[in-house]
Amino acid sequence: MTDLPLVGFIGLSAALLAIGLFGILTRRNFILLLIAIEIAMNATILNFVYFAAYTGGTAGLTGQSIAVVLVGFAATEVAVGLAIVLALNRLKGTINVAQATELKL
Amino acid sequence: MDLGSFAGPFLPEILLLAGTLFIFLLDVVGVRSTERVGAVAVAVTGLALLFVIADLGFAPLAFLATIPAGQIDAAGTGSALYAFTSLGLIFQAVFLLATFLVSLASLSRPSQDRGAPIFFGLLVLATLGMLLVAIASDLVFLLLAIEVTSLATYLLVGYTRKDPRSLEAAMKMYVIGALSTTLSFFGASLLYGAYGTTNLAAIAHVGGAGGVPVLVLLGYGFLIVGLAFKATLVPFHAWAVDVYDGAPTDVTAFLAGGSKKVGIFAFFLVFLAPILFVRTGTGSPFANGAIALGPILQITLGVLAVLTMTVGNILALLQKEMKRMLAYSSISQAGYMLIGIAVGTAPALAGATLQIFAHVFMKGAAFLLVAGVTAWGIGPLIDDYRGLGTRRPVVGVAFALMLLSLAGVPLTIGFVSKFVLFSAAVQAQGYFVWLAVAGLLNSALSVFYYARVLRVMFFEEPAAEKFPAGAIVGGSGPSELPAGGFGYGRAAAIAIAVIAIVAVGIYPQPVLGAIQAAAQHFVAVGA
Amino acid sequence: MILEELAFLVLALVAIATAIAALLVRELVHTILWIAVFFVDLSAIYFLLEAPFLGVLQLGVYAGAVTVLLLFGIMVTRKRIFSREAATGIGAVPFALAVVTFIFIVSVVGEFPSSAGTIHAYSPADLSQNLFNVNGPWLLLLGLIMLGAVAGAIYLVREGRE
Repeated sequence: MTDLPLVGFIGLSAALLAIGLFGILTRRNFILLLIAIEIAMNATILNFVYFAAYTGGTAGLTGQSIAVVLVGFAATEVAVGLAIVLALNRLKGTINVAQATELKL
Repeated sequence: MDLGSFAGPFLPEILLLAGTLFIFLLDVVGVRSTERVGAVAVAVTGLALLFVIADLGFAPLAFLATIPAGQIDAAGTGSALYAFTSLGLIFQAVFLLATFLVSLASLSRPSQDRGAPIFFGLLVLATLGMLLVAIASDLVFLLLAIEVTSLATYLLVGYTRKDPRSLEAAMKMYVIGALSTTLSFFGASLLYGAYGTTNLAAIAHVGGAGGVPVLVLLGYGFLIVGLAFKATLVPFHAWAVDVYDGAPTDVTAFLAGGSKKVGIFAFFLVFLAPILFVRTGTGSPFANGAIALGPILQITLGVLAVLTMTVGNILALLQKEMKRMLAYSSISQAGYMLIGIAVGTAPALAGATLQIFAHVFMKGAAFLLVAGVTAWGIGPLIDDYRGLGTRRPVVGVAFALMLLSLAGVPLTIGFVSKFVLFSAAVQAQGYFVWLAVAGLLNSALSVFYYARVLRVMFFEEPAAEKFPAGAIVGGSGPSELPAGGFGYGRAAAIAIAVIAIVAVGIYPQPVLGAIQAAAQHFVAVGA
Repeated sequence: MILEELAFLVLALVAIATAIAALLVRELVHTILWIAVFFVDLSAIYFLLEAPFLGVLQLGVYAGAVTVLLLFGIMVTRKRIFSREAATGIGAVPFALAVVTFIFIVSVVGEFPSSAGTIHAYSPADLSQNLFNVNGPWLLLLGLIMLGAVAGAIYLVREGRE
């Protein structure tokens, strides 16, 4: 049994989400975009893990199950992104998002 | 529990999964012609549609019903992850209808297209994801089901892999989709952290009548933003126009007619329970240091709805290209649909559902028609449609009916849905009346750009002879890769849509009655 | 339990630093190195949270598979994207947005007890019970997602022979 303050974890995941969002909004290289997405996704997974750790019981197990599923999902997402970018690379010779289209939100 | 009684209710879903696997298998053994693979997709979605309609209680098909009557609209039965509601079944029917029309029309794509198995396989798989969205009663189940649809749709958008525009659209959609997914799951994690559960009803009720902690407000905030990307709400819409424009037009029809409704229905599922619950709670928004969620959610969604309608319509007015104009009009339609959940009463939900049902026939079929017309060699600009109505009267009149219905002209399905929706908003009193006023003003605004297309089609002479001599069937052009003809399949899909627009517009009672009853049940279970 | 708090503090700082470094370094290959450290670091945090199964999963899937996948992506596209495009400045608006998000989330921390809470450990056996039994549909959905991803991704990257 360990004791750790929850505040630290929520701060960490908030910081990681902010970094990930920042990366998604600014990076123009697709590989960096993928990495930024993964950082934000890891913040989400971390959220589930530490909330599960503090909740306990069956509800806590649910949180860990979600985290396991999300790890698998995030890896799949990266694979799809790479497939799209490889196809585009073969066709146009660039993986620069800015050259492809202007990304607006 | 024997397999039959467990798997029986999921027969439509199992059918679609089997269809997907069978299509991929056909690819492996070398059967790749569009007609054969497409026929499987059409058959599977059509059959699943029959099952769903039977489950909805349509008497002539009662022998096909797969869900025991007691399991529909019954709270607390079965798993905590999914539940059968009649509104969900109606949405299943809408999704299946959209896929059915798109795959029927896609039979007219060129038969040597090597991507046909992937196109139809992913189409059916995306539809399977939508069906699962419609039965979700758990936040994580819902978001994962949305992802089944999303990942399949990114790949569908990019499936013409020799066309850089299509791949760019896929890339853009992927980035925005991944962003929205992350935000949605982050919101879900905060809700889980607050209450230790992800069941939608439980999340809404566990806080008690007094209010909810700020953490929950933040979680719902992230969910609104994440789902708003999926449902193309302003200000999270900018990706949609480029994607709709860049994707193969048949896929655009699927995006507008089907997958965007997933986002709207997710709004229904996630936000109805908190809106209904807190409304019966304490009056003060800031009771006990906690926040009453319902009013805040309703105002936020209402503002989003008005913004989406207005910005979508104004930008549609400024467009010169047909696909982009239809895409912006599609965004503004999402605003109308959102009114339903912002008001949160049964009649309003019924109106929004009917609007979504109508949108499949209006916008989905319009994109299918544009795809066919493009294959004749007609360019992307609205001005390129000059004289279409006089040279090809059948196609011109069909297109005109869809546009009139989108504008909400009486005797079309679009009028009925808008009438039901706006009158429900007025009945709800309070500031919801302003939602109805905004909707009416926007409808008036939208008439301008639809009328412009009608004028171009019927009252302007073509600059040169653009229409090749062939009959309606056949013909291909260089402007879209790979070119699809205006064959029998596409003609049939458009005919079905036109018949539905007029038939439901003149005699809406059967459809409207079913939807209203379903919305009543949905609200009763959700509250 | 001052030792654990210290360990968490170090791991958290390393996580934030490596995440920032991964997005800011000029050479893409270095990015992969930083992100690999980031993944391993998060896995250590999961062990600290007494979630060993997730820690191992994080090591295997993220530090292993995803890192290699990204490295592979860089190798294949390397000629086209060599270093320069990777490095761009820090825009004011996105930076402000990131800071606002951070402050916004942290501001709700006041909701939580700032004193230490007990961390519950779960045995992998209980976890698999929960994962495969009650919440089995989630795994089925994950399977559907992967089915679509595999079929579509293979089609996209396969060399067309037409």
